[in-house]
Amino acid sequence: MKAIICSLCYVIFAPLIGGLLDGLDRKISARMQGRVGPPLLQPFYDLNKLHNKQLIAVSKSQTFLMISYLLMMILTGALFYAGYDILMCFFVMSTASTFLYFAAIVTGSPYSTIGASRELIQMMAYEPAVLLACVGFYLCMGTFDVAKIINSVVSPIVYLPGFFIAFVFILTIKLRKSPFDISTSHHAHQELIKGLTTEFGAKNLALFQLTEWYEVTFLCGVVGLFIINSNPISIIGAIAVVFVVWFLEILIDNCSARVKFDLMLKISWIVTLLSAGVNLLILMINR
Amino acid sequence: MGKRSIIPYGPQHPVLPEPIHLDLVVEDERIIEAIPSIGFVHRGLESLITKKDYNAMVYVVERTCGICSFMHGMTYCEGIEQIMNIEVPGRAMYLRTIWGEMSRIHSHLLWLGLLADGYGFESLFYQTWRIREKVLDIFEATTGGRVIFSVNKVGGCIRDMNQDKLNMILRELDDIEKKVKEIQKTFLFDYSVQSRLKGIGILTKEQVHDLSCVGPFARASGLDMDMRYLGKDAYKDLEFHAITSNDGDCYARCEVRVREIFQSIDLIREAIGKIPDGEIDAPVKGLPNGETFMRVEQPRGEAIYYIKTSGKAFVDRLRIRTPTFANLPGLCETLKGANLADVGLLVLSIDPCISCTER
Amino acid sequence: MVDIKNPVESCEVIEAKDLLVKVLEKKKEGLRLSQICAAYTDGKYELSYSFENEENFDFVTLRVYLELEEEIPSVSEILPHAVFYENEMKELYGVNIKMINLDFENKLYRIKTKTPLLPPEERKRIEDARKSIAEAEGGIKEED
Repeated sequence: MKAIICSLCYVIFAPLIGGLLDGLDRKISARMQGRVGPPLLQPFYDLNKLHNKQLIAVSKSQTFLMISYLLMMILTGALFYAGYDILMCFFVMSTASTFLYFAAIVTGSPYSTIGASRELIQMMAYEPAVLLACVGFYLCMGTFDVAKIINSVVSPIVYLPGFFIAFVFILTIKLRKSPFDISTSHHAHQELIKGLTTEFGAKNLALFQLTEWYEVTFLCGVVGLFIINSNPISIIGAIAVVFVVWFLEILIDNCSARVKFDLMLKISWIVTLLSAGVNLLILMINR
Repeated sequence: MGKRSIIPYGPQHPVLPEPIHLDLVVEDERIIEAIPSIGFVHRGLESLITKKDYNAMVYVVERTCGICSFMHGMTYCEGIEQIMNIEVPGRAMYLRTIWGEMSRIHSHLLWLGLLADGYGFESLFYQTWRIREKVLDIFEATTGGRVIFSVNKVGGCIRDMNQDKLNMILRELDDIEKKVKEIQKTFLFDYSVQSRLKGIGILTKEQVHDLSCVGPFARASGLDMDMRYLGKDAYKDLEFHAITSNDGDCYARCEVRVREIFQSIDLIREAIGKIPDGEIDAPVKGLPNGETFMRVEQPRGEAIYYIKTSGKAFVDRLRIRTPTFANLPGLCETLKGANLADVGLLVLSIDPCISCTER
Repeated sequence: MVDIKNPVESCEVIEAKDLLVKVLEKKKEGLRLSQICAAYTDGKYELSYSFENEENFDFVTLRVYLELEEEIPSVSEILPHAVFYENEMKELYGVNIKMINLDFENKLYRIKTKTPLLPPEERKRIEDARKSIAEAEGGIKEED
């Protein structure tokens, strides 16, 4: 019962939370760059405007693929907040990403095709850290179930600092922020126009934006999962840590240029290996 | 074996400041060859010589480009002055040098901002253009215009700058120098920036000679060629050595331009210190009769003006060979074998001014 | 003080048939191509091929006086980057340059009028002359 209520809360409130976070992101970035920035509710106004535009898509299947992407992402978050298997959640998210890849490829435009292949390379860069995080949870708590992990006595981060660092590192890739926003980014992309989302317009772009908000809420939940334990006060601690991590992402975005995909692969694998790998060894030895 | 595709690059593209079209033959994100195509902003300025007399042509020539506008006007006036053997007074020469070097600072700051935008570093782009606003404010205070300001005429300058204005320029330059010193650290020493610029688009000194490249683009490959060595205007009295680098990649071109900003600031300080008093224009008698090739170092490189006159009020032929026109073959050479992600940066590294190229 | 160079500027008038040899000579001397431009005076084209010395900034111009119909070979085989200059001359003035390496076929600047910098009566004269040559050639081919 509690699981269903949590899932429903996620499905209804995640767009609002994601949109507010997006608006806050734009405002803070603007202030860092010495500008005033758009109003806080700008992302919602944008979504509304996108809905009212006429859709001109190269292929009719693009809308179907984008709706599938949205539904799979909602399923990911719903499973997570209902307390089910975290590994299953990440697999569903990977399936959602393949729908996004196909939605970009189906148009045949050279820019979105190259953006889509870069999206696959991004997946290669972040999947190891994500899977190792799940493995870390299993080794430390003995289960993949989110419902049981949040009821542990000690916060998982005490046992999993290396996994936490690796996960926060690849969060830059997932949230599409510099230096790793190589497939598409929130501003006009300088090499590939808008990369993956070049050929998305009107309704499809609105669906993409909405799915991003669901994704952000899910990922913030995973970051919070590292902190939460059976003590209810840890929820406040988790929210605080999530805000600090999210602010750090904006700071890094504003202080670095975009790197090329080979450098991104190298750096993310080295960081994953060093922090998550070493943590994994320590956990295995202590068993 | 990858599949080859042809990617149309431009004329509308977020990274290109001006419309140039490149057909890139790409295989797996690596470029095999690039075929350039221009012609989107051809205005036919050279055909206006039949309609505007040689004095009014100064205004037309200044509108060839918005960024190097002052130096275009200056080159044309110097060409006509050479044909008519007019001796420009010393104060006018120094004023031209001061405005010319400020144009150079303005152009390089604009380019640095575009370069930062090119590799995805928006906050650096905004900071650099904020400094550029200070230079534009100096232009407005001294000439009345921000981008295209007409202070050149055949025989000298139209406006003068009194000592108050010169002191104001010195104060603002101190401020600008301090700010550029701060951002130069990011441009030259930041890790993510260096990973995008080092080793990209290398041209050797022999290639630069074969392709006749000019300007900071060529000087970054070790070629010590700068038209300010000809000693025209105030340069014969100023301490000047061209800045070169030996690496020949995009990072070297960025470094050359950053150091040229500092050099320009020093040149302006020296010129303000040595400026003589006196008239700012010389009387012009008669009509021009003869021809000349006038070479001047504009911010983007060497510009050659061919002016042909025959004793009438209208010039017979005006031909502007702009620096970007000379650098286009160099661009096509650097694009061969480059990564698709670098195309934007390579196009930016020649400092493209397509409106100059096409006139 | 600045190391001032005092370059020598010179202009050499040559025949169209000597063009390639002279250009090759200048290239072998180590000069770089500065610019190529065309002008029109008194019913003739005046082509200027300018070369520059990178050490002492000497400026040498080869001047070719060409009749309006006369053909002139392209120097793009010796100096590959001359294609842009020669295409511009062809498009703006209608200079009859043969065998350019990369021929934009009058689409470099995409101008609607043909040879815009020639005076209109000359333009018409060239058009008619070229049309009659083309018809004569077509006629000979048909006879074969």
